Amino acid sequence: MGFLEVVVILVEKYHKFFLEGCKNTLILALFSVLIGTLGGTLLSLCRMSKFKPLKYIAVAIVEFVRGTPLMVQLMFIFYGLPMIGVTFPDISFIPNFSRFMAGVVAMSLNSSAYVSEIIRSGIQAVDPGQMEAARSIGFTYGESMRKVILPQAVKNILPALGNEFVTVIKESSIVSVIGIADLMFRTNDVIAVTYRSLQALLIAALLYFVMTFITGRLVSLAERKMKNGR
Amino acid sequence: MADNDVLLQVNHLSKSFGKLSVLSDISTSFKKNEVVSIIGPSGGGKSTFLRCLNLLETPTAGEILFDGVNLCSPKVNLNVQRQRIGMVFQSFNLFNNMNIMRNLTEAPVSIKKMPKEEAEEKAVALLKRVGLEDKVSAYPSQLSGGQKQRIAIVRSLMMEPELMLFDEPTSALDPEMIGEVLDVMKDLAQSGMTMIVVTHEMRFARNVSGRTIFLAGGRIEEDKPSHELFDNPESPRLVSFLEKVL
Repeated sequence: MGFLEVVVILVEKYHKFFLEGCKNTLILALFSVLIGTLGGTLLSLCRMSKFKPLKYIAVAIVEFVRGTPLMVQLMFIFYGLPMIGVTFPDISFIPNFSRFMAGVVAMSLNSSAYVSEIIRSGIQAVDPGQMEAARSIGFTYGESMRKVILPQAVKNILPALGNEFVTVIKESSIVSVIGIADLMFRTNDVIAVTYRSLQALLIAALLYFVMTFITGRLVSLAERKMKNGR
Repeated sequence: MADNDVLLQVNHLSKSFGKLSVLSDISTSFKKNEVVSIIGPSGGGKSTFLRCLNLLETPTAGEILFDGVNLCSPKVNLNVQRQRIGMVFQSFNLFNNMNIMRNLTEAPVSIKKMPKEEAEEKAVALLKRVGLEDKVSAYPSQLSGGQKQRIAIVRSLMMEPELMLFDEPTSALDPEMIGEVLDVMKDLAQSGMTMIVVTHEMRFARNVSGRTIFLAGGRIEEDKPSHELFDNPESPRLVSFLEKVL
């Protein structure tokens, strides 16, 4: 049997596996980026706060999360935390909910750290003269932020957030190690059944590429729209 | 000099950034309706001095009395005092996310609670004065430097300030646009506005401002009526500075 024939057969016989994997990967990535954005916003606010303890805690979290592998964080949350009694509940009608939650928590935490940097640099990229002008006309710091700085920062932040989503789609393949049925996990299933690793991995790679490519295009489309409109 | 004429009094103002001392022990005062130019070599502390006057830079020592209020005191609500002091920047700093009308009306409407219609009428009237009434719905990025700077001046005027600070308002402009901005400033000076202008435009300093301060090395080297300062410079530093720029 030729190489391509095997690919075609794998797609024919196991497309349900691959598609379910894609679905789970996308759900996981979406939740992680959404929660990560909330967490990241919170972290960046803490980081820019004048209240020193809050600031240092946020800095510590961001530095620690960015400086340790996602794999370690994931293992820590899924295998480590239950040792001290912290577990995620199982919900009967969603299979494997506790695994999935552990994955979402680890990915969100990781994403929060990166998103907080995205937001911080997005705000700091706004010309400092804008803040000076707003303050010198009599706006308070909060008003200046709300009326002048943030509307301009959003334009720097949104495209980078889209790219973070692309990154998370790829990085999420790591959750397969704790048994979440994402695309990587399902690909391994197919390999276990068929022993056709090269072909199965090629299909997985193509599917990941399609997901990230489409997301990437959507991001740059949104970026262009924002540049045209003000 | 009658004390009740003094609008801004600076006492023993010093400013240093870390170990670098930029201003040392500056004392001077500015009267109502006075137009004062500040000239001097780059790095001499002109801009820092001006930015201390509305506390964009926090002075290291000294006090700044604006209409009797010590701006350096922690009890003073700076936001309220800054509404009374207009500032025009070298790099214009119009709000990039707002069109011209909102640039002009945002502060009076949200800070001074001026009705929107009134603010817009006022904005149009002032824009007419500087010849830019057709730009109300344009965004800053669509304007030339000279246009931006004229609008930045109008933005300050919208708050009806008692004092206007100009930080090298023409230094970022193409030569052919300097005139249009200086004309607006001349108008403003003639209308009786109290102005402190950091500038490299020696002709403006000499002909429009009544008094000129020569600031170098973080000190006031010379402070005199403009004609006297330009015609009879005393300190050797000022003499060599004027030789270079005139």
